[in-house]
Amino acid sequence: MSIIRRHFLQGAASLAALGAFGGAQAQGTTTLTVPWMAWPENQVRPLMDVYEKATGVKIAEERLPIDELFKALEVRLTARNALPDVYLVDGPLTASYAIRGHLLDLAPVVGSELGRYVPTTLVQGTWRDKLYSLPLGTSSQLMFYNKKLFAEAGIPLPSADPAKRLTWDELLEIAKKLTKPAISQFGFTFESVNPYQLLPLPQSRGVKVIGDDGFTAAGYVDSPGMIDVMTWYQQMYQVHKIGPVGTFQTGVTQEMFGANKLAMFIGGTWNLVGFAKFKDLDYAVAPHPYFAGGKPITPTGSWHIGINPRTSQMAQAQAFVKWFTTRDTMDLWFNLRQYPPSLKQIWEERAKTTFVDPAWAIVQHELANTATPRPATPGYREYESFLKIAMQDIQTGANVKEALVRAASSIDREMRKYR
Amino acid sequence: MNAATSTNQVATFARYGALSVLSFIVVCPLAWLAIASLRPQGEIFQPISEFGWRTFVPSRITLDNYRALLAGDFPVALGNSIFVSLTTMAFGLLVNSLAGFAFAVFEFRGKTLLFVLVIASFMMPFEAIVLPLYVLVNAFGWTNSYKALIVPEIANGMVIFLFRQFFASIPKDFYEAARVDGASWLYIWARIAMPLSWPTIATSCLMIFLRQWDSFFWPVVAASSPEYSVVQVAIARNINFEQHNWGGLFASTNLAILIGTIPFLLLQQFYIRSLIADGLK
Amino acid sequence: MVSSRWVPYLFLAPAILGLLVFRLTPIGIAIGGSLTGTSLMGDVRFVGLENFEVLATDPDFWRSLRVTLIFNLIINPLQVVVAFTLAMLVFEPGRGIGLFRTMLVLPMAVSTGLSAVLFGLFLDANLGPLNGFLHWSGIGAQPFHRSEHQALGTLIGIATWKGAGYWMLFLLAGLYAIPSTVHEAAAIDGATALQRFRFVTLPLMRKPLAFVLVADTAINFLFFAPVYILTTGGPNRSTSVLMFEAYRSAFTFTDFGRSLAISTVLLAIILIIVFLQFRLLRSPEDRA
Repeated sequence: MSIIRRHFLQGAASLAALGAFGGAQAQGTTTLTVPWMAWPENQVRPLMDVYEKATGVKIAEERLPIDELFKALEVRLTARNALPDVYLVDGPLTASYAIRGHLLDLAPVVGSELGRYVPTTLVQGTWRDKLYSLPLGTSSQLMFYNKKLFAEAGIPLPSADPAKRLTWDELLEIAKKLTKPAISQFGFTFESVNPYQLLPLPQSRGVKVIGDDGFTAAGYVDSPGMIDVMTWYQQMYQVHKIGPVGTFQTGVTQEMFGANKLAMFIGGTWNLVGFAKFKDLDYAVAPHPYFAGGKPITPTGSWHIGINPRTSQMAQAQAFVKWFTTRDTMDLWFNLRQYPPSLKQIWEERAKTTFVDPAWAIVQHELANTATPRPATPGYREYESFLKIAMQDIQTGANVKEALVRAASSIDREMRKYR
Repeated sequence: MNAATSTNQVATFARYGALSVLSFIVVCPLAWLAIASLRPQGEIFQPISEFGWRTFVPSRITLDNYRALLAGDFPVALGNSIFVSLTTMAFGLLVNSLAGFAFAVFEFRGKTLLFVLVIASFMMPFEAIVLPLYVLVNAFGWTNSYKALIVPEIANGMVIFLFRQFFASIPKDFYEAARVDGASWLYIWARIAMPLSWPTIATSCLMIFLRQWDSFFWPVVAASSPEYSVVQVAIARNINFEQHNWGGLFASTNLAILIGTIPFLLLQQFYIRSLIADGLK
Repeated sequence: MVSSRWVPYLFLAPAILGLLVFRLTPIGIAIGGSLTGTSLMGDVRFVGLENFEVLATDPDFWRSLRVTLIFNLIINPLQVVVAFTLAMLVFEPGRGIGLFRTMLVLPMAVSTGLSAVLFGLFLDANLGPLNGFLHWSGIGAQPFHRSEHQALGTLIGIATWKGAGYWMLFLLAGLYAIPSTVHEAAAIDGATALQRFRFVTLPLMRKPLAFVLVADTAINFLFFAPVYILTTGGPNRSTSVLMFEAYRSAFTFTDFGRSLAISTVLLAIILIIVFLQFRLLRSPEDRA
């Protein structure tokens, strides 16, 4: 046999061997494939460990960075096969997944437990009156402020009483006094620039941000009211210059606050943990501001969990999701990551311990009174994508009306497939 | 000193001057990265109004960030990436150089069409093919395995193209001489063409290695379970909407760069002058 | 002895098989997919050229096409010239040249996405060291990727930073392949350094240059990770390259028909440009 043929056959044989080797799947224990957020391993594994020990079912959680989580989910769900089994659902995307048949109706699984939940936390997981994703908690936003910078300027500290929250005009005046460009100090900024963070602005003035059908942006996203509010927002950065322009990354705004270069900062409750690493920081919290004459509105909504209807391990997937309604699981989850709980029980149990902190008192008030979920629409990804770009362009100085009109028409263009 | 020497001196000075400036520009961000990974997290970002020597000199050097990395899942990701990159490199070198040789040396039916297909294979965005590729790999049962990460990347149109360009510039007399002596084509490929191509072998090895080292999207889609974690994904995990681990980000990136540069350091000795001139004798 | 007729195919077989299965078939499926529309529930139906017709009347598409062409018109020649210059600078042996060479290639070990993240921090308007330096030196902090006038240039800078050393290696390999005897003969004949470059080096570098130009063009037309990470196509759509539109259509808007149509258009553009580049770099004997 010539050299060439021998080499070729050897090559072919090894390729075949590779293929055969792959065919043999792991036998024995059931494994659930669960795409998850890339939180630190020591905040995720302990949770899964408990379930594995209790049931013998292995959980293969895939901790993916946030953008990659969404991308990977899109690819796998669009392939419409048995993977993943259970996955982490970003609350407002529930409708988007549900309308495309990627989520199982959870009523048979957890229906009996829903009475134990804080009602507003279930809103985002519900679409057309069915629960498609179970909340693992919710979110709320606080205004963090730097006591040292306030004291230096002799400005009275904002009250932690929700009844006495600052109006935006008051905040603007305070921020102007606390902005010192020469030492890179700014008076105020939002943690991030996106609809989650900023929709409370127009909503506080009673502006509707999307049509009632959930699909129309024209006339809402580019309404005079919206243009007014976003112009006001732009002026904070471009005219009054009280905030850093173009710093969209959350981590960086957090760093600015931690470095005592930011007097006031509106951010999520996760900062209560995150700010601990700044040893030189002396901060306190106040409620989210509102527009005088309008209503206080705060962002809310967080991660949910849902089941792929095509999973080949339906019983185990359902058992796993059901486990997330138990008090012990949610208590452990709160210990690992302090998301405002969605189970009433956790609030009650810790009322005198964890939640006695003024920050949590504010959060409880907001969740009961001012928390407004993002627009419930299957087209939320489209809506959010264009509006976010518009908001970022506006902050860096683009023409407000043009940016919003363009966003509205782009959103409507992409929403056509849902009508 | 005559005129030629002083022209030489000016030329040398200009050369080293240009190289210094360019290297500085290139290395600057990486140096910042390296310094940042060795300093306390609070010092990494400094307001622009406070630019000064403190920007470059840490108040203290700390290995905490690296210690934390080694305690986590980063070593697994490093190991996986090294294994995947080296394996793909080995198989890829073999498979793609054979093909490049064929395009350079032979005339055969369908040559132009096949070559066009080879070129076109790297002109479609990966994002466009990720879905059919995923379906395919899933159908093979390779999801969450090394096979999914390695096998689709072995055949590489760009590398075939590279080898073809190089093999085509070897004078045909070499091959003729060997054929007259009765050598088989495989022998010619293995004992004549390849040994003349060390710089090309080195660059193609680097290409394949780096492509796998840098791969990010495909591992996330096809092999994202923890034991198959790759280095770029492990780095990206430090960036979170709610909290960022800057120290972890910089330390892991720094390590990935240092380790990813090792193949280059090992291979750069192959950038010696080619042996073509000697081979002609 | 195996007949010479089959030898080429045997040499090609493993590579072509691999390309066929893992690249060409998915590409074919993708191009076919551009002729379909998908319902929300995943039902695929044939729509002919409808996706392309919609693109043709979409101002966003044309704008992206313009941005993409401008980006590539600048970056491809730029990167090749820079890479070639670097290669010429480190080609001759010398004290410490190895160190310079290593420093120049370091960026290639950072993935494109990661370099975008890093530059986002390095160039930050308020906390980034580069702006710290610019502020200190009196030039003043620059918005870089936050300004619609500087954003595209910033992305070109980042891509060139990452790619210059990498492409330099290929050109170095080409330079080293030129036998020293050829240079020596030219010098003996009285050629100046510039003449040697024009008449000896350049013609013999045709093939490596062709490779670098073609490969780099392909990569740059498909470039989008930094767009998606740093600028999301802005500010004011100034960096919205076609690949970004295609990516968003697929993964944010689940409009695979539109995404694949854009990808197919990209593929066609790249093939045409590459064909032109091949013609440009044909050696005289090929022209005969």
